[in-house]
Amino acid sequence: MNRCLVPRASCLVLGVLCLVLFTSCNRQAPASDDRKTVALVLKTLNHPFFVDMRRGAQEAADRLGVTLQVQAAEREIDVDKQMQIVENMLQTGIDVLAITPSGSREVVSALVKASGASVPIVIVDTRLDAKAAADAGVKPRTFIGSDNYEGGKLAGEYVVSLTGGKARVGILEGIPGHETGDSRLRGFRDAVAKASGIAIAASQPANWERDQGFNVFQNMLQAHPDIDTVFAASDLMALGAIEAIAAAGRTGAIRVVGFDALDDAKKAIAAGTMSASVAQFPYEMGKAAVESAVKLLAGEPVPADIMVKLEMVTKATAAK
Amino acid sequence: MNARRYGTVIGLVVLCTVLWALTPHFLTISNLLNVAQQSSINAIVAAGMTFVIISGGIDLSVGSIVALSGVALGALLQAGQPIPIAIAGSVAVGVVCGLVNGLLISIGRLPPFIATLGMMSVARGAALLFTEGRPVSGFDEGFRWIATGSVLFIPAPVIVMMAAYAIAHVVLTRTTFGRYVYAIGGNEEATRLSGVAISFHKTAIYCVSGLMSAAAAIVLTARLNSAQPIAGMMYELDAIAATVIGGTSLLGGEGSLGGTLVGALIMGVLRNGLNLLGVSSFLQQIVIGGVIVGAVLVDTILKRQRT
Repeated sequence: MNRCLVPRASCLVLGVLCLVLFTSCNRQAPASDDRKTVALVLKTLNHPFFVDMRRGAQEAADRLGVTLQVQAAEREIDVDKQMQIVENMLQTGIDVLAITPSGSREVVSALVKASGASVPIVIVDTRLDAKAAADAGVKPRTFIGSDNYEGGKLAGEYVVSLTGGKARVGILEGIPGHETGDSRLRGFRDAVAKASGIAIAASQPANWERDQGFNVFQNMLQAHPDIDTVFAASDLMALGAIEAIAAAGRTGAIRVVGFDALDDAKKAIAAGTMSASVAQFPYEMGKAAVESAVKLLAGEPVPADIMVKLEMVTKATAAK
Repeated sequence: MNARRYGTVIGLVVLCTVLWALTPHFLTISNLLNVAQQSSINAIVAAGMTFVIISGGIDLSVGSIVALSGVALGALLQAGQPIPIAIAGSVAVGVVCGLVNGLLISIGRLPPFIATLGMMSVARGAALLFTEGRPVSGFDEGFRWIATGSVLFIPAPVIVMMAAYAIAHVVLTRTTFGRYVYAIGGNEEATRLSGVAISFHKTAIYCVSGLMSAAAAIVLTARLNSAQPIAGMMYELDAIAATVIGGTSLLGGEGSLGGTLVGALIMGVLRNGLNLLGVSSFLQQIVIGGVIVGAVLVDTILKRQRT
């Protein structure tokens, strides 16, 4: 009984202390710093795409003399975690919020709080759902990104020209229900639908992952040995498929087109194991995000849409 | 027992004090309300997990049940059903998943790890199949009140969480069912020999877990204004972590809901604080892992000293 008294007493003391702190600190004003703070909330940092975006943002922040705070959820699809990060960062008195939404509708609920705190919002890479944003009264000041649908279309048109309009295509999808992947696939399908000689033999999700790209494509090749072209909604899956093709001893016989133009993919393109990849320019997006944020802070106008170019990386351009 | 619970509370207070010293943004009413709200979903799932773990089991399917109950709720709301009916439907889906888990474990004699691992995949697949992979979104303000509303400045999700814990606490500590949960976890064979209907009670335990997952799904769906078939991934691990930080033994037979609530708050406070401090996302994962292991280590050492 007596031994229980010690933790009980210390708990009481700490509890009272906590209460005192709670009431006394509430009025404490946030530390003011003459450097403005730009928050960049990414989907995740375990993908080279977002790592590049952060590099671009950091370069611009250093050049323009603002403090950059970068935070990201552990997993790309974790919208709730991303919303928590936004709420938490707003507490620290950030001046501009730049975000790559993990969910184009869902994240709006957190952005309402940014609007409430009069923090200007810059959307990067994935657009907000226009209706959800309008319903909630969220008005982003600008969108910076490249169009995933257009990128998919670019890949589709490339496949049509590469194959002379005659191919049996296997598609590796991202995580089902994920806006980015869905748009890329819609673009791709719309482009190849124009060529009657192109048939989509199979389309299966490999959840953005390299090892799943390997397994899923290996299975796909078992079921459809006549597949001669692969479109993967991301390079990681394409690189997995390339390994599966090599394991089947068919390197060179199956064309692989990916998306993102990762360094590994560029090497594969230069080596001839991969045909092409759609390049987005995340570094440019990150740079433009911070530059726009600084303009907003200075009260200068920014365009509603800042489109970052897309490019097909092929053997001719990969070596650069 | 009480001393152990205080050990976790002291951990929470120490953590809060450290954060208060490091950043002026931590100890403000609006931030603390944010923390409570952000912890609520994990806390609700962990309440069900606490029943399961005290009984010596494990439930890996909670995250997938959150997704499946969520899409059922979303679909019912979009079909124009009134809110109470939609919520009842969502709860029914959660309880049925828990029932299947429970029957596989009690009647089918499957290890809980295997039965719920299967359900984890089945429920996730069902949610994806049902929605064709697309989120169901856009609900009216009345439903969204569950996430956006507040009573006397207390956010609605926190009220749901407190209600869930109050009811669960009474069930676990004041009913025969609650006593059997501890007894089954402590010594299943002895409990069986003393004439307790093990199968029935075990099944009920997994139904409680399914029910809590559905409750979490309701809050999550309202918060996101969207029911996602890919929601709730890895929630099982967060819920297990909160339960274990709260002093519940993975071997079964001991633990408390108060401890789990504090465990969930520790995780919430930690994530919040690391965000406020602007700690790199990669370092955050290391810190969170360290705190989970550290909390349980301290608890184990304290316990060893006492016996």
